[in-house]
Amino acid sequence: MHIGVDVGGTYTDGVIIDHDRVIQTVKIPTKKNLAHSIELVIAQLAANNGAENIDKIVISTTLITNLLAEKKHESVGLLLLPGPGVNPADLNFVCPTVVIRGAVDYRGRIIVEADLREVQQAVEGMLAKGINSIAVACKFSQRNPVLENKVIEYLGQSYPRVITIASHRVSGLLNWLRRANGAALTLMISEKYHFFIRQIEESLAKMKICCPIYVLKADGGTLPLELALQYPLESVFSGPAASALGALAFADKNITSVVMDIGGTTTDLAIILNGVPLLSERGAFIDNYPIPVRGLALTSLALGGDTSITAQNGRVSLGPRKGQAYCLGGPRLTITDILVYLGKSDISSSEEVVGALGELAGSLGRKPQEIAAEVIDIFMDTLEAKLEEMFHKWEEEPAYHIWQVLSQQKKRPAAIICLGGPADGLGALWGERKGWDVQIPPYSPVANAIGAALAKTTLRLELHADTEQMRYSTNLGSVGGPLATKLKNTDEAKQFALSIFRELSDKWSLEKDYTGNIPETIYEESFNLIRDWHTSGKIFQIGLQTPSGIQTVLHPCSKKAPEGGAKQ
Amino acid sequence: MKKTGLIFFPAFDWAISETHPEREERLLYTRDQIFEEGILDNPKILEYKPRLATNNDINRVHFCVPDVDSQTTSAHFISAGSSLKLGDALVNGEIKNGFALVRPPGHHAMRIVHGNRGFCNINNEAILVEYLRAKYGFKKIAIVDTDVHHGDGTQDIFYHDPDVLFISVHQDGRTLYPGSGFVDEAGGPGAHLKTINIPLPPGTTDEGFLSVCRQIIKPALAVFQPELIINSAGQDNHFTDPLANMKVTAQGYAKLTEELKPDLAVLEGGYAIETALPYVNLSILLALAGEDYSKVVEPQYKPHELKQSPETTRYITQIINYWQEKLAQDAPDKESLFGPNRIYTRRRNIYYDTDQISEEQQEFVEYCPDCPGLYRVISGAKKAYGRDYRIWGISIPLYACPHCRHRAYELWGEELQKKSIGNGAYDFYCLQDK
Repeated sequence: MHIGVDVGGTYTDGVIIDHDRVIQTVKIPTKKNLAHSIELVIAQLAANNGAENIDKIVISTTLITNLLAEKKHESVGLLLLPGPGVNPADLNFVCPTVVIRGAVDYRGRIIVEADLREVQQAVEGMLAKGINSIAVACKFSQRNPVLENKVIEYLGQSYPRVITIASHRVSGLLNWLRRANGAALTLMISEKYHFFIRQIEESLAKMKICCPIYVLKADGGTLPLELALQYPLESVFSGPAASALGALAFADKNITSVVMDIGGTTTDLAIILNGVPLLSERGAFIDNYPIPVRGLALTSLALGGDTSITAQNGRVSLGPRKGQAYCLGGPRLTITDILVYLGKSDISSSEEVVGALGELAGSLGRKPQEIAAEVIDIFMDTLEAKLEEMFHKWEEEPAYHIWQVLSQQKKRPAAIICLGGPADGLGALWGERKGWDVQIPPYSPVANAIGAALAKTTLRLELHADTEQMRYSTNLGSVGGPLATKLKNTDEAKQFALSIFRELSDKWSLEKDYTGNIPETIYEESFNLIRDWHTSGKIFQIGLQTPSGIQTVLHPCSKKAPEGGAKQ
Repeated sequence: MKKTGLIFFPAFDWAISETHPEREERLLYTRDQIFEEGILDNPKILEYKPRLATNNDINRVHFCVPDVDSQTTSAHFISAGSSLKLGDALVNGEIKNGFALVRPPGHHAMRIVHGNRGFCNINNEAILVEYLRAKYGFKKIAIVDTDVHHGDGTQDIFYHDPDVLFISVHQDGRTLYPGSGFVDEAGGPGAHLKTINIPLPPGTTDEGFLSVCRQIIKPALAVFQPELIINSAGQDNHFTDPLANMKVTAQGYAKLTEELKPDLAVLEGGYAIETALPYVNLSILLALAGEDYSKVVEPQYKPHELKQSPETTRYITQIINYWQEKLAQDAPDKESLFGPNRIYTRRRNIYYDTDQISEEQQEFVEYCPDCPGLYRVISGAKKAYGRDYRIWGISIPLYACPHCRHRAYELWGEELQKKSIGNGAYDFYCLQDK
């Protein structure tokens, strides 16, 4: 049995799933102590179903976002070794920075040695300002970490009380700014995150639950708890991933669809292609700071079920949330009330809103049904525009190869899975308007927890190997180093990439049961290095991944599996 | 905030041949540098997906022999199409300027294409100019070619077009491929001084490069008043380029870009793929986006080795004086430039280095008081391999008068008639109506 837990701002949800059936769901208000909320939910689920029957727990939490919101930014500093390029003063670093001499180039060659006297000066200055954690970020450190390591080593010897981290340990992404921010943010949150994880481990041990525990990542994959300590940022923004996966729980396995998650004040849109959530092209941002984490390609509408409706300058106007729906005792008419009026929502009867809507219509000299139609039109038009924007962005993703430009036009989804309170009504209206296939999955209130429970463990490995420099690097923090043998052709490079992938998949606990652990090849290419008309080496780029998605499609009907049917 | 559009198309799956300078590896380190900088997260830069140009876009400019498809690969369609896409984005107001960081290049491709010259098959900038003029009704466009090699293809295509100002600054043709681009190649009789060649001596540095920009290019642009400026942004004036002998730096290129303010820049040559391209491409991109490029300094940069010799400076001053005087003179009238026969003819041989083709060509431009005049060409090519073709072509200029347009179709009809009765001297008869 799998448990999924989703810690949201208001509620913490839990679900326990046996094979393809939802056995039990739990919803409690989120406590100030998130670990405690998780513990309560798991305890309830374990009590009814037996701690010993639980074989996997996946947690999606806003913890990292909360920790970052506490803004302990002032205690961390960044030492930058940029070398030639963009002026670091123009880049969006998440904390105070000092630029140090020292540079590595794109091939991983040292252009300028690191200047340790400058490091000393910088650190003295930082200490004087109360900074006691220092991240070190050198451009192209993933291609050759030697300068970052040298600075870290020096700091360790000269300032043993300073906590340090090197950017190449956090990520191997070819984006220095994101790696640097990733390293600094990791320092900011690691202590509290460590504490959180220990709390969870201890409370589960008390409950005698000893199954593997994972956290959900922003890309919809899962990460073993012990690795989450090394890569804490990966779990940021896992909420939308949980929701998109939850939406897939009862859908066709290879569905291509939009997921619309309608909240009180906003509506989130995601794209699913053949059962796999589409990821953002470049990566996520925390506040305005780019980070080395890829989340889903999301678009949001500033409209939700509680969006208020007023008359302004003689026209219908949609505004911010003033409270819950009028029919539920809120102060203003909302989109939800309009759905009630139209008979598209059964949370209340239309008599509850007729009066207020009549009054609003009267003030505009119009009929209530006209107002209702106009509100729905505004929502649908906004949704259509946002979908167009999102599809366009997806279709216009940059391409660096001929085959990508020539490959068939991308086929847009014509299905929508709707989650959230007003999902039935707005989904049905969208279906009527556009002729799309509309799905409203069951257990919608705990969709995120279901998504977490069903998430696959994913791994994406991007190998860059340079046989002239005899070094390799990857997109993953800490995975890279000297090449032991000279790779001769793309096949050998791919075999090498696969061997790294297999080693990592053990560490990452990739499920053995799906696709036989064979990753799909995203790309494989080789570049001849020609110097003085001779081949002096090759650069190989190999991309491998297991895509995100859900492990099993759930059966919608019964909560309890029939006798004897649960174990097959 | 108006953005800088970027199309980065390194064509990681295309090469002329395995060891050719124009190969997959060429923009690999540029990719590394630009991605690693995090510059693509800068909201001032908007990256676009490349697209394909159409046969029509190419036929509007070239006479491809025997046809477009035999002279191009998908990579050419994408490289040309990328500039068109940025052109659209510029006209639509999505971007304030743009950089097509693409390969393969195009500025040696002339109007007639029998094969590959100087790594080029079709001319990206010319295709862009004619596309923008045909689609959006632009008239006057300037092309400033800052590749170290003379932009002989672009010059050839617009040599008789009074509405396109073509300026090429390059290493003197006596010392470098393609061996042309002297000051006396200054436009046909109907486009007098609409071609400006600025041959520079080997060893020219940022100083010389920028002084011709300030003292010839900028004033010439100010007089011409183009609606758009396009930069053929070759990067082989760089001090480390293996195929040329100049001493320009990434800083020099960025300053030039900043001062020239091109609406669109299109990458041309540049084969110092490690020591120049990552830095020059970055600095041009930053300059276009209005960002600080002062820290883009090549690891190999040694100021004392990049001093311009007094002799070089003197030589450059002479060229500046020459052009300043020339541009200040009153323009002679068009009719007298065409001469008593009122027709311009030119016979020449063109060599295609990459494909070892020797073309023999004869051109005719007719005087017309009301428009740029009809252009006719006959051409045949001797090839090292493949079939030799002879072609007859006629081109109606974009802003042709009704009389010339009518006459073009008449002439074409006559030729086709000759061919139909077995009297044709050519394999192909082409009419280009832009």
